[in-house]
Amino acid sequence: MNAMVYTDAAASLSGVAVRRDGFAFGPVDLEIPRGLVTAIVGPNGSGKSTLLRVLLKLEPCEGRVELLGEPMDDGRDEEVKARIGFVAELPHAYEDALTPEEKAKFAASWYPGWDWERYRKLLRSFDADQARGKLRKLSKGMRRKVELACAMAHNPELLILDEPSSGLDPFAWKTMLEELHRFMEQGDRTLIIASHITQEVKRLADCILFMHRGKVLGCYEKDQLFDEWRSLVVQPVAEAGSDWLRKLPVQGWAEAAPGLYRLETDKAGETQACCQDQGCRILSVQRMELEDILGCLIRREERTR
Amino acid sequence: MWIPIQIDENRPEPLYHQIESQLRGLILNGQLEEGALLPSIRELAASLKCSVITVRRVYQDLESEGLLRTRQGTGTFVAKVDEQAKAGHRLDRVIEAFERAVEAGLQHRCSQEELEAIFRDIVRKHYPQEGGESE
Repeated sequence: MNAMVYTDAAASLSGVAVRRDGFAFGPVDLEIPRGLVTAIVGPNGSGKSTLLRVLLKLEPCEGRVELLGEPMDDGRDEEVKARIGFVAELPHAYEDALTPEEKAKFAASWYPGWDWERYRKLLRSFDADQARGKLRKLSKGMRRKVELACAMAHNPELLILDEPSSGLDPFAWKTMLEELHRFMEQGDRTLIIASHITQEVKRLADCILFMHRGKVLGCYEKDQLFDEWRSLVVQPVAEAGSDWLRKLPVQGWAEAAPGLYRLETDKAGETQACCQDQGCRILSVQRMELEDILGCLIRREERTR
Repeated sequence: MWIPIQIDENRPEPLYHQIESQLRGLILNGQLEEGALLPSIRELAASLKCSVITVRRVYQDLESEGLLRTRQGTGTFVAKVDEQAKAGHRLDRVIEAFERAVEAGLQHRCSQEELEAIFRDIVRKHYPQEGGESE
């Protein structure tokens, strides 16, 4: 396979919806690009884990899911699943009584591409090769490391991770990022990762997908997103009157101090030009944090409801 | 290979533009020599905390300018750059730094005379003999 396949989709969803008591997910139409890292970001309960689970058809849903160009049909998707690695949000209870070695042996029997050497290298790199005893007895972080090594040991074409760093210490977290970069270095691999850790998203992601209340708010190229979203502190001219703000393309604003306004915009250049046209003095322009951008997107969505 | 590119998060220029102009500068001023192997797209993206989409775009742009060349399977290298092109861009980074200084002045509502006076003072401080002799 060509090492630079970026154009086709690693995952595509059309009309995917889950309806349960008290929870509605979708309908979601979405394509997740191959060869890239897509981070899924959203508040607790926004449907990040559900999205990952419906990708793998681990949850009954309406609509159509395709992974790596193959339809995910109940009972007939074993072959494509063998090309995928997955770490769930929570450890599986049925694995509690297994040792790491037993879990690995089970996974090895499942995945034709399983590579014991890669597995041991990953464990060593995560500093988890000395983990003994049943998974239930391991610390949360240690168990996570075993799960990550198991999910990556067959060098999957598509790796799906649900909050993989929960429980990891800062050193292990850094190692995980390095291993994921190394994994992506191959060029044709795809990583889909749900995360609430801003630094993780900033360091790993190529694309960011925002979710809220079971809906996709948008999927953006990371650098474009941070280039365009800025927060400005401006001082309007004294005779500006009351409606100067309404003429500006802004996503949010607040009075930061008497006579000073903090504006949030997703069109940095345009907003700055408008401010200057209106005679406003721009005191500072800063990139926005991921969580502030998410906040703006959520408020925009709520306004349209 | 580590490449001395520094991203200034708060500059208005888009990220790809910052990376591209710095990389172009490093090639034109000879800090990156002909034949030097650049990091892979993913590697540079990881070290700059930006997306591979951005780095790929930068490499493609500089390749079409003739500053880089890509050999299938081996990677991206610095191409041979003629001396004239190098000479034409020798002061690019200095000009850019002055631009920023003037922007800072504007933000603090400096007049043109004030800016020029500051500039002369600083130059005199750093080039003491020449400044002293000419006055």
